[in-house]
Amino acid sequence: MDLDIIPSGLAAGSLYALVAVGFNILYRPTNVFNFAQGDLVMLGAMTGASGMAAGLPWFAALLGAAALVGLIGLAENVVAVAPVVRRSSVSHAWIISTLAYSLIIDNLVGHVWGPDPIRVDPPWPFSVTSFMVGGMRTSSYQLGLIVLTGVMILAIEQFYRTRAGKAVRAVAEDRDAALLRGIDPDALSRWSFFLGAGFAAMTGLLAAPTMYASTQLGPSLLVKGFEAAAVGGIGNNRGALIAGWILGLAEAFGGSVLSPGYQAASTFVLLLVILLIQPRGLFGAPEMRSV
Amino acid sequence: MSEPFVAAPRQSVRASGWLTVAAAVGLVLVFPIVAHSDYRLYLGTQVAIYLLVAMGLNLLSGYAGQPSLCHGALLAVGGYVTALATTDHGWSFWPAALASMGLTAAAGALIALPAFRVSAWYFALITLAFADVVGGMLVEWGGLTHSFDGVVGIPMPSLLGHTLSAGELFWLVSAVDIACFLMIANLIRGRFGRGFVALRDNEHAARASGISLIGLKMFAFVVSAAITGLAGAFYAVQKTVITPDDFTPDVSIFFLVVVVLGGSGRLWGPLIGTLAFFVVPELLTSLQSWRLLIYGIVLLALMLFAPHGLEGTLRSGWRKLIRPRDALPATAPQAIAAPVGEAGRNGMAVTITGLVKRFGGVTALDNIDLQIEAGSVHAIVGPNGSGKTTMLNMICGFFKPDEGSIRLDATDVVGRATARIARLGVGRTFQTPKLLPELTATANAMLGAYAAERASTVEVAIWAPRAAREHASLSARARYFLGFVGLGDRVNEPAGELPHGQQRLAEIARALMGQPRLLLLDEPAAGLSLSEIDRLGALIRSIAGLGVTVVIVEHHLDLVADICRRVSVLDRGRVLAEGTPDDVFRDPAVVSAYMGVRPLTDAQVPA
Repeated sequence: MDLDIIPSGLAAGSLYALVAVGFNILYRPTNVFNFAQGDLVMLGAMTGASGMAAGLPWFAALLGAAALVGLIGLAENVVAVAPVVRRSSVSHAWIISTLAYSLIIDNLVGHVWGPDPIRVDPPWPFSVTSFMVGGMRTSSYQLGLIVLTGVMILAIEQFYRTRAGKAVRAVAEDRDAALLRGIDPDALSRWSFFLGAGFAAMTGLLAAPTMYASTQLGPSLLVKGFEAAAVGGIGNNRGALIAGWILGLAEAFGGSVLSPGYQAASTFVLLLVILLIQPRGLFGAPEMRSV
Repeated sequence: MSEPFVAAPRQSVRASGWLTVAAAVGLVLVFPIVAHSDYRLYLGTQVAIYLLVAMGLNLLSGYAGQPSLCHGALLAVGGYVTALATTDHGWSFWPAALASMGLTAAAGALIALPAFRVSAWYFALITLAFADVVGGMLVEWGGLTHSFDGVVGIPMPSLLGHTLSAGELFWLVSAVDIACFLMIANLIRGRFGRGFVALRDNEHAARASGISLIGLKMFAFVVSAAITGLAGAFYAVQKTVITPDDFTPDVSIFFLVVVVLGGSGRLWGPLIGTLAFFVVPELLTSLQSWRLLIYGIVLLALMLFAPHGLEGTLRSGWRKLIRPRDALPATAPQAIAAPVGEAGRNGMAVTITGLVKRFGGVTALDNIDLQIEAGSVHAIVGPNGSGKTTMLNMICGFFKPDEGSIRLDATDVVGRATARIARLGVGRTFQTPKLLPELTATANAMLGAYAAERASTVEVAIWAPRAAREHASLSARARYFLGFVGLGDRVNEPAGELPHGQQRLAEIARALMGQPRLLLLDEPAAGLSLSEIDRLGALIRSIAGLGVTVVIVEHHLDLVADICRRVSVLDRGRVLAEGTPDDVFRDPAVVSAYMGVRPLTDAQVPA
C-alpha cells in the first residue's frame, strides 16, 4: 500500500464534504435534498473554467460562477421545488422534479461545453505540482484544499449560531411555527437555494484542478456528496467533513489495494454498513417529534 | 368469529377484467402475424421487455413510493446472468432465467437492507450509488463479464428441442407480461396494495395498522427486482449481444420517465408509458443527443402539471365526461349498535410506571404512573403541551421512553416496534388524521385489518378463492364499520375528499377493523359540530360496550364527563389529578391549570 493515498484521499474527501455541505445548506431550511446539486457543482466548474479561460483571475471567476449558478439554483426553486412542495409537503415529488432539473442542466452543459474535460489551474499560490513529504506524494493544492475545507466548514457552523442561522434551524424544525415568529420560510428557501447553489459552484471550481471540469463531475459528486452527508448525518456539517475524509480515504484505499475500479464499490459498501448500524449516520440528529 | 357480512357481487368488474385480458391475449397472438417485418417484431418484443421492467419499477416506486434509480443496473444483472450462464457455462435458458431472477432479487435485497431504515430519498440515492457500482463492476470483473467486449452469441431459448423463433419469443415475453400484470393487479387489490400505498403516503398509518415497514418494503423491492431480473434474461436473448454500454445510468432514468409518464402508482401506467415512448421512436432517434434534456423536461412538466401521468390525466378527463356515481346502499348509517359478532372482547389493561420521556432538553413526560382499567373509557386531559399525545405515542410504540415501563395486560411493550404493539390489539387514531388520501374510505378502513389477513402472498397473487373470500368479507366489514361510525354514504369516496371531521371517524373505523382490545383516540372531537360530538359520544360508548378499553385524549370536557369512567389530568409532563370526571373537574389545581389562577374578568377575555 502506498502512503500517497492519505493526502489524495483526504483531498478528495474534502471535496465530498463540501458537496455534502451544499446539500445541507439546502436541506436544513427546506427538507429538500437537491438531486441537481452534483450538476450545480459541475456547472460551477465549467463556468469558472470558462471565466478563467477568458482571462479572469481565479477569484473573479469564482464570484462570477457562484452568482450565475446561484441564480440557476434560485430558478430551480421556482420551477422545480416550490410548486411541488406547495402542493404537498409530505410527498417526495421533489425527488423526481430536482432529478429532472439535473438532467436538463447536464444535457445543456454537455451541448455548450462539449464532452472533453477542461483543465483548470488552482488559485495562486497553490500548485498541483507534486512533491514528497514524509514518504507521501502530494501537492500544495491538495494540502491547501484539506485545510481550507476544514476552516470553511467550521466558519459555516459558526454562522448557524447567529440570528439568521437560528432562523434557518427554526424553519427546519417547524416551518409553521417559524412563520408565526415572523420568519418567512419561502424567502428563506429562496436564499438557501441561491446560497446552496453558489456554494456548489465554489465546490466545483475547487474540484476542477484535481478532477477536471467535465460533465462527468455531476453524477459522481452527487453520489459521493450524498454518501458524505448520509454517513456524517444529514444536516450535520462537521459530521460531513469527517465522513468526507473517511470516505475519501476508504476510496483511495480500496482503489490502491484492489484496483481503481473498486473506488465506487468501497465507498458504497462503507455507506451500507454504516447505515445498517446507524441509520442516521455517525453524527445524526436524534429522533424528532413527528406524530 | 362469524362472518355475517356478505359482499355485494361485482360481476361487471370481473367481466370487463376478463374481457381486457382476452383482448390483450388476442392482440399478442395476432401481432407477430401482422407485424410483417422483423424490425417491427423486434420492436414489439422490446416493448414487451421494457413493459416488464416498468411494471416492476411501478410496483416499487409508484405504489410503494420508493423511487429507484437502479432498475437499469438490475436489468444488467439479470441480463448478464442469463447471458453468461447460457454462453460460457452452457446452461439452458430456463434455469438461467430463474438464476437471473434470483440473483437480481438477492442483489436488490442486499442494498435494500440498510436503505429501508431511512426515508425515500435516501433510498433513491442509495440505488443511484448501487447503479454506479454495478456499472463499474461490469468492466472491472472483465474475467467474468468480458469487460467492454460484452457477451456475444447469446442463444435463443429452446423448448423440447425446438428453438424459439422471434415471433415465439414475442409470445413468451408477452405471456409473462400478462401474467405479471395480473399478479400485480391482484397484489395491489389485496392487502399489499393498501400496505404499499401506506408506505408511500403515510408510514405512521402503516405502522399503527400493524404493518412492518421493513418487511413490506423489502417485499416490494424483491418482487420488483425479480421481475426486472427476468426482463434482463429476455433482454439478453433478444439482443444476442450485451455490453456495459447497454446499461448506462440513462437506462434507469428512462424507466423512471416511462413510469412517471404513464402514471406512477397506476395499474395501467407502465403500459401507457411504454407505448407512448415507442409511438415516437423516430423522433427520439433524431434527437438522440438531446435525450436527457427531453427526459428532464418531460419529468419536470409531469411533476408540475400531471403528477399521475397520462393514465391519471385520461382518467380524470373521463370522469369529468361521465361522472359515474357508484352508489352503494348506505349501510345503516344512523343506528349505532354493537357490531354483530363483535361483542364480548376482553379489553386490555394499561399499566404505566415511572415513565419518562425527554426531547433534547425538554422533559415531555416526567415520571408518570398511570393505571387504566380493562374495559374502561379513560380520558387524558390537560393543557396544550402537557404531554398527552406523547403518552399515546409511547403506548403504541412510536417513541421509546427514556425510563419506565408500559405494560399492556402483562406484556411489557417498551422497545417493541409499533407494528408489533398494534398486532397485540392496539388501535389508534391521530390528532391530524392520517388516511391515505387517494384510496377510498373502504380501502382505508381495510388497511386496519392488514395484520389480521390470512391469505398467503401466493394466494393473493393468483387471487385464489381464499384471498377472494377474505377480500370480500373484509370489504363488507369495512363498509359495515364505516356505517357504524356514520360514514355509510361515503364508503366509495377517496378519503382525501372527506371533510376533516369525517376523516377522524374514518380513522376510528380503520382502527376498529384491527379488532382492537385497546383503542387510543387522539382528540377525536376536534373540529366536529355539537351534534357530531353527541354522535361521537354514543359511538365511543358503544365501542366500549364491546369490551374494548378506550383511552381518549380530548379537550371537550363535556364529552369527557359524559363518556369516561376515569380522567387523568396531565400538566407539564406530570399527572396533576386523577379520578372520576366529577371529582377531577372540581379539583382547584385542575381548574387553575386550565383557566389560570384567577377567575377571568371582563378585561381579560380576549375580543
